[in-house]
Amino acid sequence: MTMQPFSGLKVVDLSDLIAGEFLARLFADMGAEVTRVEPPDGARTRHVGPWAGGAPGLENSLTFWTYNAGKRSVVLDLSAEGGGRLAPLLADADMVVMTWQPARLAELGLDPYELSARYPRLVVVSVTPFGLTGPWADYRFSDLTALAAAGPLAQCGYDDRSVPPVNPGGPQAQHTATAFARIGALAALIERQATGLGQVLDVSIHGANAMNTELGVPFWLYNRVPVLRQTCRHAQPVVTQPAMFACADGSYVYYTLILADQHSWKILVQWMDEAGMAAMLTDPAFDDVLHRQAHMGQIQELVECFFLIQDGHTAYLEGQRRGLPIGIVNAPEDLLEDEHLKARGFFVPVDTESEHGTVLFPGESCRFSAWNPAPRRRAPRLGENSPE
Amino acid sequence: MGVPPTGLPFIKQFGFEKLGLARLTLPTHGPERIAAVRCVKGWAGSAFGGPAKFNSASWARHWGSNGGVMTDISQKAAERAAITAAAAADPARRPRPSPGPLAGIRVADFCWMGVGAIATRMLADLGAQVIRIEDRKRLDMPRRLPINKTAGARAYGDEDPDPDPNAGGLFNNFNRNKLGITLNMRNPRGRELCERLIARSSVVTENFAPGVMERWGLVYDRIRALTPEPILARMSGYGHSGPHADFKSYGPVVQAVSGLSHISGLPGREPSGWGLSYMDNMAAFYNAAALLTAIHHRNATGTGTEIDLSAVETGITLLGPVMLDVTVNGRRMRGGNFPPGNRVEHPDAAPHGVYPALGEDRWIALAIMTEDDWKALVAELGHPDWAADPRFATQRLRHANQDTLDPLVAAATAQRDRHELMHRLQSRGVAAAAVQTAQDICDHDPQIAQSGVLFELDHPVIGPARFEGLPIRFSRLHVDNWRSAPLLGEDNAWVAAHVLGLAPDEFEQDVAEGVFG
Repeated sequence: MTMQPFSGLKVVDLSDLIAGEFLARLFADMGAEVTRVEPPDGARTRHVGPWAGGAPGLENSLTFWTYNAGKRSVVLDLSAEGGGRLAPLLADADMVVMTWQPARLAELGLDPYELSARYPRLVVVSVTPFGLTGPWADYRFSDLTALAAAGPLAQCGYDDRSVPPVNPGGPQAQHTATAFARIGALAALIERQATGLGQVLDVSIHGANAMNTELGVPFWLYNRVPVLRQTCRHAQPVVTQPAMFACADGSYVYYTLILADQHSWKILVQWMDEAGMAAMLTDPAFDDVLHRQAHMGQIQELVECFFLIQDGHTAYLEGQRRGLPIGIVNAPEDLLEDEHLKARGFFVPVDTESEHGTVLFPGESCRFSAWNPAPRRRAPRLGENSPE
Repeated sequence: MGVPPTGLPFIKQFGFEKLGLARLTLPTHGPERIAAVRCVKGWAGSAFGGPAKFNSASWARHWGSNGGVMTDISQKAAERAAITAAAAADPARRPRPSPGPLAGIRVADFCWMGVGAIATRMLADLGAQVIRIEDRKRLDMPRRLPINKTAGARAYGDEDPDPDPNAGGLFNNFNRNKLGITLNMRNPRGRELCERLIARSSVVTENFAPGVMERWGLVYDRIRALTPEPILARMSGYGHSGPHADFKSYGPVVQAVSGLSHISGLPGREPSGWGLSYMDNMAAFYNAAALLTAIHHRNATGTGTEIDLSAVETGITLLGPVMLDVTVNGRRMRGGNFPPGNRVEHPDAAPHGVYPALGEDRWIALAIMTEDDWKALVAELGHPDWAADPRFATQRLRHANQDTLDPLVAAATAQRDRHELMHRLQSRGVAAAAVQTAQDICDHDPQIAQSGVLFELDHPVIGPARFEGLPIRFSRLHVDNWRSAPLLGEDNAWVAAHVLGLAPDEFEQDVAEGVFG
């Protein structure tokens, strides 16, 4: 077994939000020793479902399992004696992750910059809803309101814009902040390799999501035009053709018909023709992109019919075999049967050491030739590693 | 100073006698530099009314899009070539010592599109010398897309027939702080120079369709023979092994296949999914993290690594707790009340959603999680009747009766200004947020403004413009945004001289033979 890249790295996880818990877990995945510091009644995510076996309980939260796998758990009542109780943990830590907003930090008598001064080698990662400064720094937060305030939510929803913007599933506002925070934390660790010094990172969930609109911000910055949300495809300044097609088995495939792309057009018409569904599209007039654009509506209808008579998964595999960038809209349970993921061994078994036995977790999305992935370990029980 | 000279007087003032723009020197900083750059732009725009004035220098062959006969070069191409030459001659746009933690690391960067370029932008922001290797015959799509100040409102797929490759807003947003060269990989000498660049780099990055790097022989073993303990980051939709390794994808396809689209939408309807290529960005951030992990590891152990990142698998790791609800509880996510739209299944709190506000397509998001939140909402919206309604007496009851509650809340918010209501509810301690647009974020949001995350850089073609920065404030580490994105082939001469070690006549010959084409 090769060494993990962060073997020996000690991380103290004080998070009250998924954004911080997830960051610390990503380091645990890579071999770091992560100590989850929990209040006596457990981390906040222990109180949030879904529940293993459907039974609520501190040890059954799948939200806690997801974001705390592979960590140790130590119970410390920080509200009782403030930050002083952290001293033994922080003294030999390399990194600490916290998510408290300024007002709460003040209540706890904690200050990231003071911690950094007291422990010069420590990388102090603060991931907070709005960052540590600014007029909104203490504003309340939820994943939905974070996506709303930062811009991505306005881009997500349905063609029918009388329906409000719709939240993309999962706590993605926090995942986005975690992704940026990880880059910052790694940069600070690399810098520390040269200088021996840590520092404070002030990561704003709001800022992270505002920088994750893809086209929304650039269309405003450069073209000065707003974008319109559209069902399951890019929000754009103008309305575009639907890209999700219903299939015979009730599933959907995702395919963007780019009429100017001659190569894809020929593949699609050939495929439709073999199924006896190309109708007039084999007419040489349709070789001309202008003709195609003039008949966009008819083409779209024919393609809708073409997919509607097929099984979604079959259409996905056949379209890809022919070289088209087509996707099947998988439900999470479909992933467990996916031949590609099976061949890559993507889902990995984790022994929960409980009545739930061994269960599958998503594994590594990134493989490195220099080391093997560490076996995934279950999330800790509350206070499992507290000193006797 | 007075009005800056233009045209020939300007050229004479700056010691520019012939049309050898590569030898043009510009003031390095200050208002004189800005005036001088504007002058060159103005001059470049007016000087090439016809090919007659365009007869003495070899530089147009370096930067002209046809790389050849003057009379074939359109006026537009000539203007672009002149601007590129001026930028290439501008000392303020040449590399300077970096203060970042990745200073001293050179990256031979084949990444393209957003998903590739954003990953290596992180390395460039942090001080690596990232040298993008581009192909003039297959322009990077973000160079072509009509996202620029003259394009107006149109779909990003609605391209111009002859787009200015240096005006693309997406490209410029994705590639600041990097150098850019054009290299003809169909030419053996081009591939030889590419290997020389790799030999003088310690990181190689790519996100081509599987097989492209293999066709050039640039597999990890070959790269390891060129440079010791390299890091090779390969990023693709499906990863480089498995039966679907050759499948084609881009952001929305990755979102569909990974399950992210399915878990997003209103129950009983088609998925609403994502209105952006979330997974292009997230896969890029994960690739950047993988590269930084590999650099940290190499610093500690001296060992390089090959990296194989799958965007689809990254998407699956981002599904969140619903994935374990499936693997642990055997839950099926098709049909029923899933996905929950803007509501939450856990905890069982309500109201939780997006409600109309005053104005067209204006909304406010509310997350009422506790009894205190509920009391504050009732007070702010002026509905003591709700507090007395037995259907809404507890959090659990409000959750159970959301279908009744949500229209009442919507009626009460519909005539309120979204920002005013947000701030009033926040002052009462409620998680409320206006659904902000990109315009709100860029031009009005005081929290974004004070963070400085959107920052301005001058750009030789689009002028001063704002770009998306890192949403992280470091207490010591300095992110040096030293240059806007490279114009197409802008750094050919610099990289040839300072990295590849080519003598000027060697470079001239390579240019003449189309190696940098």
